[in-house]
Amino acid sequence: MKIGFIGLGRMGRGMAHRLLGGGHDLVVHDVVRAAGDDFVRAGGRFADTVADLCAGREVVVTMLVEDAAVIDVALRPGGLCDSLPKGAIHVAMGTYGVAAIRTLGAAHAKAGQVLVAAPVLGRPDLAASGQLGIVAGGPEAAVRTCEPLLQLMGRKTFQAGELPESATAIKLANNMVLGCAMVAMAESFSLVRRYDVSPRVFYEVITEGLFSAPAYKGYGKTMVDETYDNVGSPITVGLKDANLIVAAADLARVPMPSLNIYRDRLLGAVAHGDGDRDQAVLAREQARAAGLE
Amino acid sequence: MRIGLVGLGRMGQGMGARLLSGGHELLVYNRTAGKSGDLEKAGAMVAATVAAACKDREIVISMVADDAALNEVAAGIQASLPNDAVHVSMGTHSAGAIKALAAAHAEKGQAFVAAPVLGRPDAAAAGQLVIVAAGAPAALKKCEPAFSLMGRKTVEAAATPESALAIKLANNFVLGCAIETMAEAFSLVRKYGVNPQVFYEVMTEGLFAAPAYKVYGKLMADASFDKPGFTTRLGLKDIKLALAAAELVNVPLPSGSVVRDRLVGAIAHGDGDKDWAVLAREQARACGLE
Repeated sequence: MKIGFIGLGRMGRGMAHRLLGGGHDLVVHDVVRAAGDDFVRAGGRFADTVADLCAGREVVVTMLVEDAAVIDVALRPGGLCDSLPKGAIHVAMGTYGVAAIRTLGAAHAKAGQVLVAAPVLGRPDLAASGQLGIVAGGPEAAVRTCEPLLQLMGRKTFQAGELPESATAIKLANNMVLGCAMVAMAESFSLVRRYDVSPRVFYEVITEGLFSAPAYKGYGKTMVDETYDNVGSPITVGLKDANLIVAAADLARVPMPSLNIYRDRLLGAVAHGDGDRDQAVLAREQARAAGLE
Repeated sequence: MRIGLVGLGRMGQGMGARLLSGGHELLVYNRTAGKSGDLEKAGAMVAATVAAACKDREIVISMVADDAALNEVAAGIQASLPNDAVHVSMGTHSAGAIKALAAAHAEKGQAFVAAPVLGRPDAAAAGQLVIVAAGAPAALKKCEPAFSLMGRKTVEAAATPESALAIKLANNFVLGCAIETMAEAFSLVRKYGVNPQVFYEVMTEGLFAAPAYKVYGKLMADASFDKPGFTTRLGLKDIKLALAAAELVNVPLPSGSVVRDRLVGAIAHGDGDKDWAVLAREQARACGLE
């Protein structure tokens, strides 16, 4: 298939290499030219502009960091909407807000193109090994066309629904469940600490039974060891996501009291100078609230 | 060992059977009669009073439903516990009640261990509970043979008996928060036209591939609340105990306050005797979906 790929960051480069490895005709683009060097060596082509990249492509994948970036790439003069052939598909695989996805969907429809939202679950190592979870939302035929590509990038594709934003809602809800799990752990650690219980003992109790899952084992361990400078996902990224979830809930008229607590704790962590630390530092923010720090 | 067991609910009966299976001499008491039949057949003796259940015992275990029941039997145990015997409280009680009970036993020079358990009646009957224990080292050592029959694992909390309750209540609190969080997440995706089963699959195949999410997420995806494993009312009781334990040591638990309010709302809407996964319906009501 003739594919374009925009956004060669830590996630994007792993995903694009999977597509190239699958034998597809791949053109890549990134604002940093050097990011494309290894793709050119591996048989891909680097396009200097988005318009150049779009020529003759059936599918263009974007993996960009935030709403403003994907909107710019799609809507600016010479962007995706101006340059993609009619009937081509834009697969937006970053984590974006519902409003941004709706804006993109409407703009592509007007230009005779199709938007598929396909946010991913997993970190760069899973992207590189093609083991991402992918949540796809969009017209059924378009999602089916993309299926061979999604299979190269992920171990499993979930079909969210006919609307692109249905995939966005799933991704955001999953992030919300994770954030709230961290808050609950943070609160419970501060509770047991006040009873002189070693955090490690409590960690062992919860992770060997009801909560024997990566979310609790990973972030719980970071809270026990207080290794917040070893950053997987920083507080500021959590706050960006929390704001996207709050906005999605606002648009759909869904009160989410636990989400608001998560967001407030993130804000507090930023206020206390922990913005660039791992999100598990929410345990310290909660400890502050309980007078433990 | 000579063991007394006060409280023959579903948990107590399972635990008693395990103690008998280990060859211990068991003397049982229940506040309402007629609960001891199975244990008698298995060799237990029945006491007519709490005091009688303490006679010549090395360990007296209490496994009763709440603080009120504990206070009712505790006076008798304090009055009748032999010197060198240990009272082991294994129910889920408030940190305050356990702290007070520990002080009362200490005043009489009696040994006291708090050892709340994680697990349901089936785990109790199979000897597969997780026991969270706290008390003086010598007293804990004395209980070890009994613990190893009732549980698959004993976790030592910290020095004070109430520290064991802190762990038990915090564990339940984390579960309550997970349920409320899932309820909120399901209502969000439903508003975007997503089939709840799809969200359930996404959530439980990765980061949350654990019993808490698989069991309660499934109940929510199926909207199956009428066969309660644990009711909304009992959930409220546990969350209130966690909030009280936190308040006792000045720890704010904002997520706990949210869960409590949602549970109260569920009861207000007539869902008090449903499984506490019904928080999904309460949250759906809050956003106009029901």
